[in-house]
Amino acid sequence: MNHIVLNKELKIAPARQPVLQVRNLTVGFNMARGQAKILEGVSFDLFQKEILALVGETGSGKSVTVKSILNLIPERSRETRGQVWFDAKDLLSMPDKKLQTIRGKQISMVFQNPKSSINPIFTLGEQIFRLIRLYLSPDIDALKLKMHCSRNQAVETIAKEKLNEVGLTDIQRMLKLYSGEVSGGMAQRYRIALSLLSSPEILIADEATSALDVTVQAHILKLMKDLCENKQTAILFITHDLSIAAQICDRVAVMYAGRIVEIAKTKTIFKKPLHPYTIGLLNAVPMLGKNKPLSFIPGMIPDLVNPPLGCRFHDRCDHAMDICRKQKPESLTLEDNHEVSCFLYK
Amino acid sequence: MNESLIILERVNTWFPNHKSILGKPRSWIKAVSDVSLDIIEGECLGLVGESGCGKSTLGRAILRLAPLISGKIRFMGDDISTLDSKALKPYRANMQMVFQDPKASLNPKMTIFKILREALVLNSRVTKENYLEQAVELLDIVDLRPDHIYRYPHEFSGGQQQRICIARALATDPRFIVFDEATSALDVSVQAQIINLMRNLQDRLNLTYLFISHDLSIMEHVCARVAVMYAGQIVEVQEAGLLFDVPRHPYTKALKNAVPTADPESRKELGILKGEVPKLSDPPSGCRFHPRCDYKEDICIRKNPLKSQTGENSWVRCHFHEKLWQQGDLINSKESL
Repeated sequence: MNHIVLNKELKIAPARQPVLQVRNLTVGFNMARGQAKILEGVSFDLFQKEILALVGETGSGKSVTVKSILNLIPERSRETRGQVWFDAKDLLSMPDKKLQTIRGKQISMVFQNPKSSINPIFTLGEQIFRLIRLYLSPDIDALKLKMHCSRNQAVETIAKEKLNEVGLTDIQRMLKLYSGEVSGGMAQRYRIALSLLSSPEILIADEATSALDVTVQAHILKLMKDLCENKQTAILFITHDLSIAAQICDRVAVMYAGRIVEIAKTKTIFKKPLHPYTIGLLNAVPMLGKNKPLSFIPGMIPDLVNPPLGCRFHDRCDHAMDICRKQKPESLTLEDNHEVSCFLYK
Repeated sequence: MNESLIILERVNTWFPNHKSILGKPRSWIKAVSDVSLDIIEGECLGLVGESGCGKSTLGRAILRLAPLISGKIRFMGDDISTLDSKALKPYRANMQMVFQDPKASLNPKMTIFKILREALVLNSRVTKENYLEQAVELLDIVDLRPDHIYRYPHEFSGGQQQRICIARALATDPRFIVFDEATSALDVSVQAQIINLMRNLQDRLNLTYLFISHDLSIMEHVCARVAVMYAGQIVEVQEAGLLFDVPRHPYTKALKNAVPTADPESRKELGILKGEVPKLSDPPSGCRFHPRCDYKEDICIRKNPLKSQTGENSWVRCHFHEKLWQQGDLINSKESL
């Protein structure tokens, strides 16, 4: 019985349209020592109404991946190849002016440190008003007619409504404050409200909760989840914290040294991880209420100027075979869209 | 049970906020107020709390690195709370600290040998001729190679740098080490290595630790006992195994419910704690947690609860802990985990 149900799911799955398709994204940074191969052939799909987690250690290329999608890294000394398909257009070959109309509007981004992405010399009110005037002028006009009020009053009403949506209170006072005067959690919620103003199709959250306390983090995570369910926004959630991925994400992509080594549904990744790196990473996570000894992966992330030949993980891997040292493993798709790049499963 | 290595009695650490023209403080930021705590010899005591609750300040106050307004600190039986820096020197070698950012706490212009030698000078048991030998031995203890000794800090990865910081802390043969968010800046797999190293060293060298962290899930792996801090006060001290299964204080429960677990099977509704962390310059009256507490009553606003013992080495500060305990209100959350 179960088997049939599984097959049915598989048939439906390809029918879902991905909103973002990253294909063979390769990024190199030219340095004095030579070219650092930061990303090598990164491919993944982001579907509508899903939260995809991109997890990995520091230096695995998570942030470079999403920054390359929006072309946010200075072009000097950088080489990018591959395609990023959004709305039947390739973002990487698009002129900067055109990309500007998508960036921030259709694809929006929230960064790790909320205070550094808010302008410190304007009040929080001034900044949100400006964006409302830019993105929501039909709404302002409608409200003006309905409430018989001035344009500025309409803008303020919308601002309050939008800030209320992300769970902020005492908004009247907050609009007059500067970014330095609010707490980290408030600033991050404000930042999220800003990125949602244009009702983006995709929200990229780059370590959006890493700098926050657990109690504030819980707020933000809940907010993200509601957002995905109610507004149909697809979220690409970058994190180094596997427990966050377990809590809110639908699928998890694990990155190691510039390659995606495994993508699967969250439950599958945690229940039946296949790639030796994923298994090692999961064993190193401390868990509340489970006092198992922590194990770790020996060695460290390779130098990307001279990355190891073949599989980039082979010199830290217990199961390394001869072929791992010579040949790059291709991505295999197993049942239930479980993708893994490892010769063990060939 | 062993004896207490450190006893804190009503320790207050305040920082002046606004100063008047004459330089007298008009108001204070009460980072640590009325904290009484003992740290038992050979244990690892955890200290958790949100950012800005005063946990780092408390750690520094124990080492006399932060100003002490009032209160007593007993270290190995001696009162060190009023000693000046000269008289403190013999005690300093016995207490060490490891910080969050290893890169920032190692001098980039010094080789590892120089860094370790600086600390070895304080160790009266090591003679000048033995510095090199001792430094190599220290590196061996923290699993680094002897040939690393003439390298500079930037040549190491974050995890290795943290090992060097630990080696430096061990150079003076201390009895007590404060780890202030020592693993927070590291990746999970590196973090696991450092924690295993810490546990090994504790067994081998009979050390006492104070482990400060905001990460609750790591506490059980490192500590035997955990103190929970909120707005400058310690609200609960409990064995690590029991703390999150059967919390006694509403704040502990709220903290636990906010932590995501790395298990998609037990996906839970993350608990949302209402309100914001109070300002330490103007803390709430009575029990400091009352504006955010689900169980508050009139007495909580008026009176700060006293300590009530809940076990041999554990206590809680809550007016209604017995009532909540009998009703099982706080334990219910165990099922949802």
